[in-house]
Amino acid sequence: MSKVHVEGDELIVEIEGLDKLWALKSRLVIPLANVRGATADPGIVKESKGLRAPGTHVPGVITAGTFTLDGERVFWDVHDAAKALVIELADERYSRLIVEVADPRATVALIENSLPHV
Amino acid sequence: MGRPRGFDEAEVVRAAVVLFANRAYDGVSVDELVSHLGVHRNSLYKTFGSKRGLYLAALRWCLNEEVPTLIAEIERAEDATAAFQRLTTSMAWAGMDLLLLAAVERAPVDREVALEVKRALNSLDEAVQRRRGSGQAAEIMRSPLGFTATLLGLRLRVRAAVLTAESGAPTLRHGPHPS
Repeated sequence: MSKVHVEGDELIVEIEGLDKLWALKSRLVIPLANVRGATADPGIVKESKGLRAPGTHVPGVITAGTFTLDGERVFWDVHDAAKALVIELADERYSRLIVEVADPRATVALIENSLPHV
Repeated sequence: MGRPRGFDEAEVVRAAVVLFANRAYDGVSVDELVSHLGVHRNSLYKTFGSKRGLYLAALRWCLNEEVPTLIAEIERAEDATAAFQRLTTSMAWAGMDLLLLAAVERAPVDREVALEVKRALNSLDEAVQRRRGSGQAAEIMRSPLGFTATLLGLRLRVRAAVLTAESGAPTLRHGPHPS
């Protein structure tokens, strides 16, 4: 599970609990200017994750860490597909963050309303 | 899954207009977008950034492509009844249904959507304003706001009556008559 919040003009994604170990990461800080949008997307866990490097992938249980698919680096931290949130980035190390949050709908609204423009 | 396939962005946006014009925004999942639009999920995110990004592109497309069609109808209609008749059954209404839904469900919670809806309604009002100066316009065209509101209301009724109508657009037979 991750906690997503906005501080000033940055989006902060905190990886909580043991997921820090699985994902080998505890916190991501992204300038809002590099955030293109956020979408609640339970179906995305059915997609191919690509190559894991590094991270943890136990199909059906947890996908956490960095994965590379079609030349894009994607960060995953999802146990429960129903709460998957996709955050699309630009000009960042990761093209996309796919994280599990307590309330995907509220988090989408938080992120979309914080974006400078579309 | 393989590499993201190439796709025609304009075609995807047009297909999204139809999807969003007929279903509530929250009722359209990314799974459905992927299967209806025939686009790889990664490509969808890469191109539009989010579901909302695609929605805004769809809304802007119909405001840029279809509102002008409606405006042309207003400008050449011989009277208000003819204008309503043509407009509520116009092909361009696929996009205008999206405008209706956007006005109801997304504009109150999304500023960008609210601005686009406002822009569309203003340009319809302005078209009526221009038309009413041309001499043959009926009473209702003297009030651009009233005309646009009636137009949207009639389209809403046409949509609501689709399953019960014997044929055509029943509400128009009893539509407002300028006399």
